[in-house]
Amino acid sequence: MWWITLLCLALGLFIGYQLPIFLPASMVEYVSIGVLAALDSVFGGIRAFMEDAFDATIFITGFFTNSLLAAAFAYLGDKLGLELYLAAVVVFGVRLFQNMGIIRRYLLKKY
Amino acid sequence: MRETSGKIAIMIICVIVGIMLSVQYRTSESYGPNLRTTRVDDLASINSSLMKENQNLSEEIVELREKLTNVSSESQLNADLQAELKKSNIAAGVTAVTGPGIIVTLNDNPRALQPGDDPNAYLVHDSDILSIVNEIKASGAEAISVNDQRIIAMSEIRCAGTTILVNWNKIGPPFVIKAIGNQQLLESGLTIKGGKLDELNSFGLQTQLVRNNNIEIPAYSGSIKFQYTTPKQK
Repeated sequence: MWWITLLCLALGLFIGYQLPIFLPASMVEYVSIGVLAALDSVFGGIRAFMEDAFDATIFITGFFTNSLLAAAFAYLGDKLGLELYLAAVVVFGVRLFQNMGIIRRYLLKKY
Repeated sequence: MRETSGKIAIMIICVIVGIMLSVQYRTSESYGPNLRTTRVDDLASINSSLMKENQNLSEEIVELREKLTNVSSESQLNADLQAELKKSNIAAGVTAVTGPGIIVTLNDNPRALQPGDDPNAYLVHDSDILSIVNEIKASGAEAISVNDQRIIAMSEIRCAGTTILVNWNKIGPPFVIKAIGNQQLLESGLTIKGGKLDELNSFGLQTQLVRNNNIEIPAYSGSIKFQYTTPKQK
Protein backbone atom coordinates (compact mmCIF):
# COMPACT_ATOMS: atom_id res chain seq x y z
CA MET A 1 0.00 0.00 0.00
CA TRP A 2 2.63 2.47 1.08
CA TRP A 3 4.91 2.09 -1.83
CA ILE A 4 1.95 2.44 -4.22
CA THR A 5 1.01 5.74 -2.56
CA LEU A 6 4.56 7.04 -2.74
CA LEU A 7 4.84 5.86 -6.32
CA CYS A 8 1.67 7.76 -7.24
CA LEU A 9 2.98 10.87 -5.51
CA ALA A 10 6.27 10.59 -7.40
CA LEU A 11 4.37 10.03 -10.64
CA GLY A 12 2.30 13.17 -9.95
CA LEU A 13 5.42 15.21 -9.19
CA PHE A 14 7.02 14.01 -12.40
CA ILE A 15 3.93 14.80 -14.52
CA GLY A 16 3.61 18.24 -12.91
CA TYR A 17 7.26 18.92 -13.61
CA GLN A 18 6.85 18.05 -17.27
CA LEU A 19 3.60 19.93 -17.77
CA PRO A 20 4.10 23.27 -19.55
CA ILE A 21 1.66 24.96 -17.17
CA PHE A 22 2.46 28.15 -15.32
CA LEU A 23 0.06 29.70 -12.86
CA PRO A 24 -0.62 33.43 -13.23
CA ALA A 25 1.09 35.47 -10.52
CA SER A 26 -2.19 36.56 -8.93
CA MET A 27 -3.21 32.91 -8.47
CA VAL A 28 -0.05 31.60 -6.79
CA GLU A 29 -1.10 32.73 -3.35
CA TYR A 30 -4.46 31.00 -3.48
CA VAL A 31 -3.21 27.82 -5.07
CA SER A 32 -0.54 27.45 -2.40
CA ILE A 33 -3.26 27.51 0.27
CA GLY A 34 -5.17 24.97 -1.81
CA VAL A 35 -2.10 22.72 -1.91
CA LEU A 36 -1.82 22.91 1.86
CA ALA A 37 -5.47 21.92 2.23
CA ALA A 38 -4.95 19.05 -0.21
CA LEU A 39 -1.97 17.79 1.77
CA ASP A 40 -4.06 17.93 4.91
CA SER A 41 -6.78 15.88 3.22
CA VAL A 42 -4.28 13.27 2.10
CA PHE A 43 -2.85 12.83 5.58
CA GLY A 44 -6.35 12.78 6.98
CA GLY A 45 -7.19 10.05 4.47
CA ILE A 46 -4.15 7.99 5.44
CA ARG A 47 -5.07 8.33 9.09
CA ALA A 48 -8.66 7.27 8.41
CA PHE A 49 -7.35 4.32 6.42
CA MET A 50 -5.32 3.18 9.40
CA GLU A 51 -8.26 3.61 11.73
CA ASP A 52 -10.35 1.50 9.31
CA ALA A 53 -12.78 4.39 9.12
CA PHE A 54 -11.88 5.26 5.56
CA ASP A 55 -14.67 6.31 3.24
CA ALA A 56 -13.75 7.04 -0.37
CA THR A 57 -16.64 9.48 -0.87
CA ILE A 58 -15.81 11.49 2.22
CA PHE A 59 -12.16 11.45 1.26
CA ILE A 60 -12.62 12.67 -2.30
CA THR A 61 -15.25 15.31 -1.50
CA GLY A 62 -13.17 16.45 1.47
CA PHE A 63 -10.12 16.78 -0.71
CA PHE A 64 -11.77 19.02 -3.30
CA THR A 65 -13.98 21.09 -0.98
CA ASN A 66 -11.12 21.71 1.44
CA SER A 67 -8.80 22.89 -1.33
CA LEU A 68 -11.36 25.10 -3.01
CA LEU A 69 -12.65 26.47 0.28
CA ALA A 70 -9.15 27.34 1.45
CA ALA A 71 -8.36 29.10 -1.84
CA ALA A 72 -11.69 30.94 -1.71
CA PHE A 73 -10.97 31.93 1.89
CA ALA A 74 -7.61 33.43 0.93
CA TYR A 75 -9.21 35.25 -1.99
CA LEU A 76 -11.99 36.64 0.20
CA GLY A 77 -9.43 37.79 2.76
CA ASP A 78 -7.51 39.62 0.07
CA LYS A 79 -10.67 41.36 -1.10
CA LEU A 80 -11.55 42.39 2.43
CA GLY A 81 -8.03 43.53 3.26
CA LEU A 82 -7.88 40.85 5.95
CA GLU A 83 -5.12 38.28 6.09
CA LEU A 84 -7.61 35.43 6.25
CA TYR A 85 -5.20 33.05 4.56
CA LEU A 86 -3.35 32.95 7.87
CA ALA A 87 -6.38 31.26 9.41
CA ALA A 88 -6.26 28.57 6.73
CA VAL A 89 -2.50 28.14 7.15
CA VAL A 90 -2.79 27.77 10.92
CA VAL A 91 -5.77 25.40 10.85
CA PHE A 92 -4.39 23.14 8.16
CA GLY A 93 -0.91 23.27 9.58
CA VAL A 94 -2.08 22.20 13.03
CA ARG A 95 -4.23 19.43 11.57
CA LEU A 96 -1.35 18.23 9.42
CA PHE A 97 0.83 17.80 12.46
CA GLN A 98 -1.93 16.12 14.45
CA ASN A 99 -2.62 13.63 11.66
CA MET A 100 1.06 12.95 11.24
CA GLY A 101 1.37 12.32 14.97
CA ILE A 102 -1.53 9.88 14.96
CA ILE A 103 -0.17 8.08 11.89
CA ARG A 104 3.21 7.80 13.57
CA ARG A 105 1.66 6.26 16.66
CA TYR A 106 -0.25 3.71 14.57
CA LEU A 107 2.88 2.76 12.71
CA LEU A 108 4.81 2.36 15.96
CA LYS A 109 2.05 0.16 17.38
CA LYS A 110 1.92 -1.91 14.22
CA TYR A 111 5.65 -2.64 13.99
CA MET B 1 -14.35 -3.83 -2.60
CA ARG B 2 -14.28 -0.86 -0.28
CA GLU B 3 -10.60 -1.42 0.23
CA THR B 4 -9.86 -1.35 -3.49
CA SER B 5 -11.91 1.73 -4.30
CA GLY B 6 -10.33 3.50 -1.35
CA LYS B 7 -6.88 2.59 -2.58
CA ILE B 8 -7.65 3.80 -6.08
CA ALA B 9 -9.04 7.03 -4.68
CA ILE B 10 -5.93 7.61 -2.61
CA MET B 11 -3.74 6.83 -5.62
CA ILE B 12 -5.56 9.29 -7.85
CA ILE B 13 -5.53 11.95 -5.18
CA CYS B 14 -1.82 11.40 -4.61
CA VAL B 15 -1.15 11.91 -8.30
CA ILE B 16 -3.19 15.13 -8.23
CA VAL B 17 -1.39 16.38 -5.12
CA GLY B 18 1.93 15.62 -6.78
CA ILE B 19 0.96 17.59 -9.88
CA MET B 20 -0.28 20.51 -7.78
CA LEU B 21 2.88 20.53 -5.67
CA SER B 22 5.30 20.52 -8.56
CA VAL B 23 3.36 23.07 -10.64
CA GLN B 24 3.14 25.32 -7.62
CA TYR B 25 6.83 24.84 -6.91
CA ARG B 26 7.86 25.64 -10.46
CA THR B 27 5.61 28.69 -10.60
CA SER B 28 6.77 30.26 -7.36
CA GLU B 29 10.34 29.45 -8.36
CA SER B 30 9.92 31.35 -11.61
CA TYR B 31 8.40 34.37 -9.84
CA GLY B 32 11.21 34.63 -7.35
CA PRO B 33 11.29 33.62 -3.72
CA ASN B 34 9.64 36.68 -2.19
CA LEU B 35 6.32 36.79 -3.94
CA ARG B 36 4.35 35.73 -0.89
CA THR B 37 6.20 37.99 1.49
CA THR B 38 5.94 41.08 -0.71
CA ARG B 39 2.77 42.51 0.68
CA VAL B 40 0.55 45.36 -0.37
CA ASP B 41 2.48 48.10 1.45
CA ASP B 42 5.76 47.32 -0.23
CA LEU B 43 4.10 46.97 -3.59
CA ALA B 44 2.38 50.33 -3.12
CA SER B 45 5.63 52.12 -2.33
CA ILE B 46 7.36 50.47 -5.29
CA ASN B 47 4.45 51.48 -7.44
CA SER B 48 4.51 55.12 -6.37
CA SER B 49 8.26 55.45 -6.89
CA LEU B 50 7.97 53.88 -10.32
CA MET B 51 5.14 56.26 -11.17
CA LYS B 52 7.27 59.22 -10.16
CA GLU B 53 10.11 57.95 -12.31
CA ASN B 54 7.69 57.47 -15.14
CA GLN B 55 6.50 61.04 -14.85
CA ASN B 56 10.07 62.37 -14.85
CA LEU B 57 10.82 60.35 -17.94
CA SER B 58 7.76 61.61 -19.76
CA GLU B 59 8.76 65.18 -18.95
CA GLU B 60 12.15 64.38 -20.40
CA ILE B 61 10.47 63.07 -23.53
CA VAL B 62 8.66 66.36 -24.00
CA GLU B 63 11.90 68.27 -23.55
CA LEU B 64 13.76 66.07 -26.00
CA ARG B 65 10.97 66.37 -28.57
CA GLU B 66 11.22 70.13 -28.32
CA LYS B 67 14.94 69.90 -28.95
CA LEU B 68 14.29 67.59 -31.86
CA THR B 69 11.98 70.08 -33.53
CA ASN B 70 14.60 72.76 -32.90
CA VAL B 71 17.19 70.64 -34.63
CA SER B 72 14.97 70.15 -37.62
CA SER B 73 14.62 73.89 -38.07
CA GLU B 74 18.21 74.86 -38.70
CA SER B 75 18.13 78.50 -37.64
CA GLN B 76 16.88 77.46 -34.23
CA LEU B 77 19.66 74.88 -34.09
CA ASN B 78 22.23 77.58 -34.74
CA ALA B 79 20.77 79.77 -32.05
CA ASP B 80 20.83 76.86 -29.63
CA LEU B 81 24.45 76.15 -30.44
CA GLN B 82 25.33 79.81 -30.03
CA ALA B 83 23.70 79.94 -26.65
CA GLU B 84 25.46 76.75 -25.64
CA LEU B 85 28.78 78.16 -26.84
CA LYS B 86 28.26 81.37 -24.93
CA LYS B 87 27.59 79.44 -21.76
CA SER B 88 30.62 77.24 -22.29
CA ASN B 89 32.82 80.28 -22.92
CA ILE B 90 31.74 81.85 -19.67
CA ALA B 91 32.33 78.60 -17.83
CA ALA B 92 35.76 78.22 -19.42
CA GLY B 93 36.65 81.82 -18.65
CA VAL B 94 37.54 82.86 -22.19
CA THR B 95 35.09 85.77 -22.35
CA ALA B 96 35.05 88.89 -20.23
CA VAL B 97 32.03 88.99 -17.98
CA THR B 98 30.23 91.52 -15.85
CA GLY B 99 27.70 91.37 -13.05
CA PRO B 100 27.06 92.02 -9.36
CA GLY B 101 29.51 90.68 -6.81
CA ILE B 102 32.16 91.58 -4.29
CA ILE B 103 35.71 92.91 -4.33
CA VAL B 104 38.12 91.76 -1.66
CA THR B 105 41.36 93.67 -1.26
CA LEU B 106 44.27 92.25 0.74
CA ASN B 107 47.42 94.10 1.65
CA ASP B 108 50.49 93.45 3.76
CA ASN B 109 50.73 94.74 7.30
CA PRO B 110 51.79 98.43 7.05
CA ARG B 111 53.48 98.43 10.43
CA ALA B 112 57.25 98.68 10.33
CA LEU B 113 58.96 95.40 11.12
CA GLN B 114 60.09 95.31 14.75
CA PRO B 115 63.25 93.50 15.76
CA GLY B 116 62.45 89.89 16.60
CA ASP B 117 59.21 89.83 14.57
CA ASP B 118 58.59 87.10 12.06
CA PRO B 119 58.39 88.84 8.68
CA ASN B 120 56.16 86.04 7.39
CA ALA B 121 53.38 87.21 9.69
CA TYR B 122 53.40 90.60 7.95
CA LEU B 123 52.81 89.31 4.42
CA VAL B 124 49.87 88.04 2.40
CA HIS B 125 50.69 84.50 1.31
CA ASP B 126 49.60 82.45 -1.67
CA SER B 127 47.74 80.12 0.69
CA ASP B 128 45.67 83.06 1.99
CA ILE B 129 44.59 83.98 -1.51
CA LEU B 130 44.01 80.36 -2.38
CA SER B 131 41.73 79.74 0.58
CA ILE B 132 39.80 82.96 -0.06
CA VAL B 133 39.27 81.92 -3.68
CA ASN B 134 38.18 78.50 -2.48
CA GLU B 135 35.73 80.04 -0.03
CA ILE B 136 34.33 82.24 -2.78
CA LYS B 137 33.89 79.22 -5.02
CA ALA B 138 32.10 77.38 -2.26
CA SER B 139 29.78 80.38 -1.89
CA GLY B 140 28.66 79.97 -5.47
CA ALA B 141 30.79 82.49 -7.35
CA GLU B 142 30.35 82.28 -11.11
CA ALA B 143 33.52 84.12 -12.16
CA ILE B 144 36.64 85.03 -10.17
CA SER B 145 39.73 87.07 -10.86
CA VAL B 146 42.83 87.85 -8.81
CA ASN B 147 44.56 91.09 -9.82
CA ASP B 148 42.69 90.86 -13.13
CA GLN B 149 43.91 87.35 -13.76
CA ARG B 150 40.87 85.24 -14.51
CA ILE B 151 40.71 82.06 -12.44
CA ILE B 152 39.96 79.14 -14.75
CA ALA B 153 40.04 75.40 -14.26
CA MET B 154 43.80 75.22 -14.82
CA SER B 155 44.80 78.37 -12.92
CA GLU B 156 47.39 78.06 -10.23
CA ILE B 157 47.93 80.32 -7.22
CA ARG B 158 51.37 79.71 -5.86
CA CYS B 159 54.32 81.29 -4.18
CA ALA B 160 57.37 82.02 -6.31
CA GLY B 161 60.10 83.63 -4.24
CA THR B 162 58.89 87.03 -3.17
CA THR B 163 55.93 87.18 -5.52
CA ILE B 164 52.81 85.15 -6.19
CA LEU B 165 52.06 83.51 -9.52
CA VAL B 166 48.55 83.39 -10.97
CA ASN B 167 48.19 82.03 -14.50
CA TRP B 168 52.00 82.20 -14.66
CA ASN B 169 51.83 85.98 -14.14
CA LYS B 170 53.64 87.57 -11.22
CA ILE B 171 51.34 89.62 -9.05
CA GLY B 172 52.09 91.66 -5.97
CA PRO B 173 50.21 93.47 -3.23
CA PRO B 174 47.63 94.87 -3.02
CA PHE B 175 45.75 91.76 -4.07
CA VAL B 176 42.32 92.49 -5.54
CA ILE B 177 40.02 89.49 -5.72
CA LYS B 178 36.84 90.04 -7.68
CA ALA B 179 33.95 87.62 -7.76
CA ILE B 180 30.58 87.64 -9.48
CA GLY B 181 27.77 85.89 -7.69
CA ASN B 182 25.20 86.26 -4.94
CA GLN B 183 26.60 89.19 -2.93
CA GLN B 184 24.95 88.14 0.31
CA LEU B 185 26.31 84.61 0.10
CA LEU B 186 29.79 85.66 -0.97
CA GLU B 187 30.09 88.23 1.79
CA SER B 188 28.81 86.00 4.56
CA GLY B 189 31.07 83.15 3.42
CA LEU B 190 34.12 85.32 4.02
CA THR B 191 33.05 87.43 6.99
CA ILE B 192 31.68 84.56 9.05
CA LYS B 193 33.10 84.61 12.61
CA GLY B 194 36.36 82.69 12.67
CA GLY B 195 36.44 82.78 8.88
CA LYS B 196 39.32 83.62 6.62
CA LEU B 197 39.05 87.42 6.83
CA ASP B 198 38.89 87.24 10.63
CA GLU B 199 42.06 85.20 10.61
CA LEU B 200 43.92 87.61 8.33
CA ASN B 201 42.79 90.61 10.36
CA SER B 202 44.13 89.01 13.50
CA PHE B 203 47.56 88.93 11.87
CA GLY B 204 47.28 92.65 11.25
CA LEU B 205 46.92 92.33 7.48
CA GLN B 206 44.75 94.90 5.74
CA THR B 207 41.54 93.48 4.35
CA GLN B 208 38.67 95.23 2.71
CA LEU B 209 35.44 93.80 1.35
CA VAL B 210 33.06 95.89 -0.76
CA ARG B 211 30.00 95.04 -2.74
CA ASN B 212 29.83 96.23 -6.31
CA ASN B 213 26.90 95.90 -8.65
CA ASN B 214 28.95 96.20 -11.79
CA ILE B 215 32.06 94.11 -11.50
CA GLU B 216 34.03 93.46 -14.66
CA ILE B 217 36.13 90.38 -14.87
CA PRO B 218 38.45 90.03 -17.84
CA ALA B 219 38.87 86.97 -20.01
CA TYR B 220 41.65 84.47 -19.51
CA SER B 221 44.52 85.87 -21.57
CA GLY B 222 46.80 82.86 -21.77
CA SER B 223 46.72 80.19 -24.41
CA ILE B 224 44.82 76.97 -23.90
CA LYS B 225 46.55 73.96 -25.33
CA PHE B 226 45.70 70.35 -24.75
CA GLN B 227 48.67 68.09 -25.15
CA TYR B 228 47.40 64.99 -23.41
CA THR B 229 43.66 65.36 -23.19
CA THR B 230 41.28 64.32 -25.91
CA PRO B 231 37.50 64.12 -25.72
CA LYS B 232 36.26 60.66 -24.91
CA GLN B 233 34.67 58.94 -27.88
CA LYS B 234 31.10 57.92 -27.12
